[in-house]
Amino acid sequence: MEQLIEILEEINPEVDYETCDDLVDGHYLTSLMIISLIAGIEDEFDVTVPTVEIVPENFNSAEAIWALIQRLMEE
Amino acid sequence: MKQKGRKIARCFVFLFGLLCMLLLLSRLFVPKNNRKEFGMQDVQANGILGEPENTIEVLVIGDSLAYSGLVPMALWEQYGIPSYVCCTKAQQLPYSASLLQQALRTQKPKVVLLEANAIYRKITGIEFLVNVSRDSLPVLNYHDRWKSLNVNDLSGRVEYTWTDDGKGYLFNKKSRPAEKKNYMVPTEETEKIAWLNERYVSYIAKLCEKNGAELMLYSTPSAKCWNYKRHNGIQELADRLSVPYLDMNLLSDEVAIDWTKDTRDYGDHMNYSGAKKVTQYLGSYLKAHYELSDCRDSERYAKWNDCLARWKRKVEK
Amino acid sequence: MYSYCSVVFLGVFLPLTVALYQALPQKGRRVVLLAASYVFFWILSGKLLLYLLFSTLSVHHIGLWLSLLANERDAALQGVERSERKAIKQQYLHKQRMVMGFAVVLHIGILVAVKYTAFFGWNLNNLFEVLHLPLRLSTVKILAPIGISFYTLQALSYLFDVYRGSVPADRNLFRLALFLSFFPQIMEGPICRYSDTAQALWECPSVSYRSLTFGAQRILYGVMKKVVVADRLNAFIKPVFADYAQYDGGVIALAAVGYTCQLYMEFSGTMDIVIGAAEIFGIRLPENFRQPFFSKSISEFWKRWHITLGTWFRDYIFYPVTLSKPLKKLTTWGRKRLGNHFGPLLAGAVALFCVWFSNGIWHGAGWNYIFFGIYHFVLILLGNVFEPFVHKTYEKLRLRRNGAVCTGLRILKTGVLVCIGELFFRAPELGIGMKMFGRMVGSFSLSSFKSGKIFEMGMDRQDFIIVGVTVAIVFLFGVLKERGVQIRQRTAEKPTVLRWALYYALILFVIVFGAYGPGYIPVDPIYANF
Repeated sequence: MEQLIEILEEINPEVDYETCDDLVDGHYLTSLMIISLIAGIEDEFDVTVPTVEIVPENFNSAEAIWALIQRLMEE
Repeated sequence: MKQKGRKIARCFVFLFGLLCMLLLLSRLFVPKNNRKEFGMQDVQANGILGEPENTIEVLVIGDSLAYSGLVPMALWEQYGIPSYVCCTKAQQLPYSASLLQQALRTQKPKVVLLEANAIYRKITGIEFLVNVSRDSLPVLNYHDRWKSLNVNDLSGRVEYTWTDDGKGYLFNKKSRPAEKKNYMVPTEETEKIAWLNERYVSYIAKLCEKNGAELMLYSTPSAKCWNYKRHNGIQELADRLSVPYLDMNLLSDEVAIDWTKDTRDYGDHMNYSGAKKVTQYLGSYLKAHYELSDCRDSERYAKWNDCLARWKRKVEK
Repeated sequence: MYSYCSVVFLGVFLPLTVALYQALPQKGRRVVLLAASYVFFWILSGKLLLYLLFSTLSVHHIGLWLSLLANERDAALQGVERSERKAIKQQYLHKQRMVMGFAVVLHIGILVAVKYTAFFGWNLNNLFEVLHLPLRLSTVKILAPIGISFYTLQALSYLFDVYRGSVPADRNLFRLALFLSFFPQIMEGPICRYSDTAQALWECPSVSYRSLTFGAQRILYGVMKKVVVADRLNAFIKPVFADYAQYDGGVIALAAVGYTCQLYMEFSGTMDIVIGAAEIFGIRLPENFRQPFFSKSISEFWKRWHITLGTWFRDYIFYPVTLSKPLKKLTTWGRKRLGNHFGPLLAGAVALFCVWFSNGIWHGAGWNYIFFGIYHFVLILLGNVFEPFVHKTYEKLRLRRNGAVCTGLRILKTGVLVCIGELFFRAPELGIGMKMFGRMVGSFSLSSFKSGKIFEMGMDRQDFIIVGVTVAIVFLFGVLKERGVQIRQRTAEKPTVLRWALYYALILFVIVFGAYGPGYIPVDPIYANF
């Protein structure tokens, strides 16, 4: 989880990732940032994020992203 | 269930209220005189509203073939028949019927002529709706008058004062020769008349009957619009309704149309010289078949003679 | 019935369908909706209905094919060692890709064939002429069925979703057919997702008093936008774009703003009618507009304007392209060398270009549309590239970026950029668009406004006033919506007298001030031709 927050802060430091739960819907994460984020996640956690998982629900909060990563790692 | 009924009732009350308001607005928006400045549409045809009551003996309805091909002033000059051409561009039968109805409110014509080309015009849904609005909810037709509404409109009183010197005829001297001259090739075939169109013609026939007018169908020469199939179709319709039909496309000897000179647009419409020929023949035909009075010396028609003088100055210019 | 805003559609077709729908039980309602949809399509396109039928059948079949492969794969994976799983997955992925590729080629192929052959032929002939080749292609114009650009995208979105496994393939041909052909949205969208509307349409809920009145209100609002503003503006805009050389720069600028306004009122008004009509049946279609003229940047504008098209391109072009293997490598490389901001921009730019090129050409076969797409690509890319500098500048100048003044200026800037884009979009061809833009900037003058000549160009003073008033009304509703006010809900809570007075006022406003009847030529449904 900490690694993830680190990646997120690198991308957009202006957000409080502990509490924010509308990262995508609130336009805190633009689509280009998401690309950057995915590249970061794939590097850090050695997973592949398939396009089908790129939906707002999976990226709206740090917690949701973390859940996604764990799901992908299990596969 | 009861609740549901109440809700449906509410919808109807709402719509009824709307209808009332539209009727009220219609009184406000309807043109208060029949001139263009007052927002009147189709002024030429609506000029009849300004004619004194019960003065028109021959009334014509139909499309542009009719208002290009019949000169009421010539009919007046030669035969003393007071006539009016209530025709509009691309007129469809619902509008013909409405114009006839409107004229019958103030006039008692002896003969009503229906130019047959309108009978073959497809009645479009939109024209049907426009016509309904013209007749019952004029606000839909004249809403654009919001730009020029004034105190006078508030009273809702309507007074028609204007009349057309051409009595509905559209003066045009241009000459463009027709290419096709032998367009009336005899055939047994007929062009079918749509069901709705036939209903309208028979409705018009009934209207005439009820008002003591005799309906007659006729065709103005037109190399572009007419052919023998259509002639047959109209002849059959006329027989079914037992009304006379006069097709001047077949009378090349009696109505000697010179297709190189008498048409304004390559055989579609008559020009002034063609229209005069048509009028001359039609006048003699009407005189021979109907009891029409010669009103030229009548006191009531003094204005018609003034009008003729003005008209002559205009067309001879 | 060439537009949703016609008397025949709103006065006859829709009420008849609603009445029949309500009179029948659920199963009958499905039949009514599907039949009404096909009748609607047939009235508009006649025999071209065959295209829709073919698309529906092929989409149904390919969907089942994809799901069959997925099932086979799952069966093959049962009880297999982890090490072998990857190979099996890869093998099936390859097969699925082939099927999906076939589907894309087929549907895009039809779309390209009917919409772009004339354009390609024309360009090739020009090329041959430049190269002095004695070759000429005879250009044929194939009749395109109405709404093909919309239902093709909708069909592909379903197939992509099945391919990715996010929705199951639909066995029921009729449910799928209804999803693809639902008559309110077939002509101009919104482009729906299978997961949004297919099941809702199939359930056929009853028409309730609330759905009927809310739907009717939304339709009324749409009719107002279209009939009072869009159609009235036509008299001014059409002549200016037809013969721009007669007008000075100020008038052209006003025409560009006017056209942007017309396009918005026409398209969003039609969407209000479409969404309102669906709402009567108890079906919520996705929104296509969210007050786009409150946007602070071009990229935000496209998240608020024609939303369903934007999300389609995002989900089915932007992400797949950026996450494709070569571009992923590029991103990883870029992140290491150029940092987190510029790194992803490389891949992003490629994907954005694909999106905007497709967006441009989707709107029509013409260089002006392609230019329109590229124009927005450049603006959005520049916006992204310069974002850190802009951010720093604001900080240095100690300006609050979200303060009222800054926000206002940013909204204004976005509006101006959008209007310039729409100028090219509306221009009959790219060259003319360029010349118009040149004239607008080069010989800008306000003399037509000062001399009052502007009121002799199709719209008089009163026309401008009424357009202004209506735009103000729409703006007011927009502000309320931005603040999250549920306007229809709030009005529904008011006493009957007040409510009815409001409805009557709106209806009579449309009837009196609408630009319909003698002397007016309504604007064609702009988006239906795309």
